[in-house]
Amino acid sequence: MTPHQTMRRIWKMRHAYAFIAPFYLLFLVFGAFPLVWSFILTFNEWDGLRPMKAVGLRNYALLLRDQRFLDAIGNTAVYWAANVVFILALSLLMASLLNDRRLGGRHAYRLVLFLPNVTATVAVGLVFRMVFDYNSGLINGILEALRLPVLPWLNSTGLSKVPVMVLSIWRDTPWYMLIMISGLQTISPELYQAATVDGAGRLQKLLHVTLPGLSPVLFFCFIALTIDSFRIFTEPYILTGGGPGSSSLSIVQYLYESGFTAFKLGYASSIAYVLTLILLVVSAAQVIAFRNRGSVVEEKTA
Amino acid sequence: MNARGGASRAVTHVVLIAWCVLSVFPLLWMIGTSIKPVTEAIGGLGSMIPRSPSAANYARVAGLLPLARNTLNSFIVAVSGTIITVFLCSLAGFAFAKYSFPGRDALFLFLLATMLIPPEAGIVPTFLIMKRLGWINTYWALIVPRAATAIGIFYMRQYIASFPTEIMEQARIDGCSELRIYGRLVLPVVLPALAAWATIAFIARWNDFMWPLLLMRSKDMYTLMVSISILPVSEGLSTPWPVIMAGTTIAVAPLICVYVIMQRYQVSGLTLGAVKG
Repeated sequence: MTPHQTMRRIWKMRHAYAFIAPFYLLFLVFGAFPLVWSFILTFNEWDGLRPMKAVGLRNYALLLRDQRFLDAIGNTAVYWAANVVFILALSLLMASLLNDRRLGGRHAYRLVLFLPNVTATVAVGLVFRMVFDYNSGLINGILEALRLPVLPWLNSTGLSKVPVMVLSIWRDTPWYMLIMISGLQTISPELYQAATVDGAGRLQKLLHVTLPGLSPVLFFCFIALTIDSFRIFTEPYILTGGGPGSSSLSIVQYLYESGFTAFKLGYASSIAYVLTLILLVVSAAQVIAFRNRGSVVEEKTA
Repeated sequence: MNARGGASRAVTHVVLIAWCVLSVFPLLWMIGTSIKPVTEAIGGLGSMIPRSPSAANYARVAGLLPLARNTLNSFIVAVSGTIITVFLCSLAGFAFAKYSFPGRDALFLFLLATMLIPPEAGIVPTFLIMKRLGWINTYWALIVPRAATAIGIFYMRQYIASFPTEIMEQARIDGCSELRIYGRLVLPVVLPALAAWATIAFIARWNDFMWPLLLMRSKDMYTLMVSISILPVSEGLSTPWPVIMAGTTIAVAPLICVYVIMQRYQVSGLTLGAVKG
């Protein structure tokens, strides 16, 4: 097509561009522009009032020596690992139990099991804070009744990440369960029947039919879970405030604190960029890993 | 069915029921605590059933916060945000699914790529932009930036792709405008998907916490989430748990209602399209 023809085609399809324009305009103003501005801020020291001071790479250098930041990264990585392991395992388990068409009450189960995901994180965060309370919480009440030692869940550096992980697993598992259910429904029942004829047991069916058939879905869940986990904010904010010390602080929490409590706008922006970089690297690594594994699966089933 | 099949079916039910109990228990515990007098014990399992239930905590929490106003704020932001986002996302999804135009695939790939960038990356400048626009403490700050989302457009495109193109051609010959084709032909057919997406969008907006925490700076403009988050310590005193639970129950109740009303538009149907595509 000549440029002239292309222009005519674009003009003819102008309604299509009008229909998709809102997203791109909004992205320009509230996505791309802040992203670029944020990048410039990472090389500056600024409190939002006095003139900006160019400091080169000093914000990044400071970050590497900032123990609170390193703790936030470590904690967030722990939240991520716990989410990936427990949420993927639990949602796969629940989904495969619910995928049985002859199971009575499937719809009722699904309705109830999805409830945690509907609730507000702030609200259930406060409920979990009460339940994990040292003096009057339900968990310690049960431990006491069983004559076990009570534990300072929210007020000790060793345990403070536990309630955060329990809350995010409790609340996010149902979402991934639903995605896995729809993924399982795309696997043809004949494959299971063939496996049964060949004398395959439950574990063999899981390894050789379910997991390969589900691998695009698992990949999708893995990426989504990674992005969500690294952006965790509300759970530790409500449960522990990030403490005691920095034992449960997340990256986004520290970003928020640096930007809007300490008003170190340049420093906060460099935290935001490290977070973005981590997410891009992790996503890219997963895409590459999946591509290799995907081809292996194809060869096997071909 | 043989005995082994029956036994494994029983195990299935036991596991599912156990997880159901874990799913519902925190909510029941919350409601139970909210109707307890503040003097009653909240710790042990023995205190499960409130001995003398009352609604006093609800009155008290309403005295601590401008609760009616905060609830109204949450409704305005969540309802109008949902309507606008469903409209704009389905319109864009329709264009990506049903038109072929120069640059379409590149534009769509770009849209997908934006999903990998965390919105927090630009949080500092976003705050400064909102300040410059004079949108701090206004509903605009919470509604406009997410009026059209990449993920929403992605889902809508998946759905509308299955709409028969021949019907559109016929309508075009009959002289229908493109906007009319969208409104009169496509929308009614994809309504279930729209309803499912609207439910998810409503829940996400109602639950949103970090952005309203940042952008709503006066008590009157707080959304319900921001408002209850400061409940544990209000007026410099620590609030009794039953009073806090009255607040959280108020915050969760509308969500449960929306979910129960909308659950027939299966959310799982929506995710199916995402994974297949």
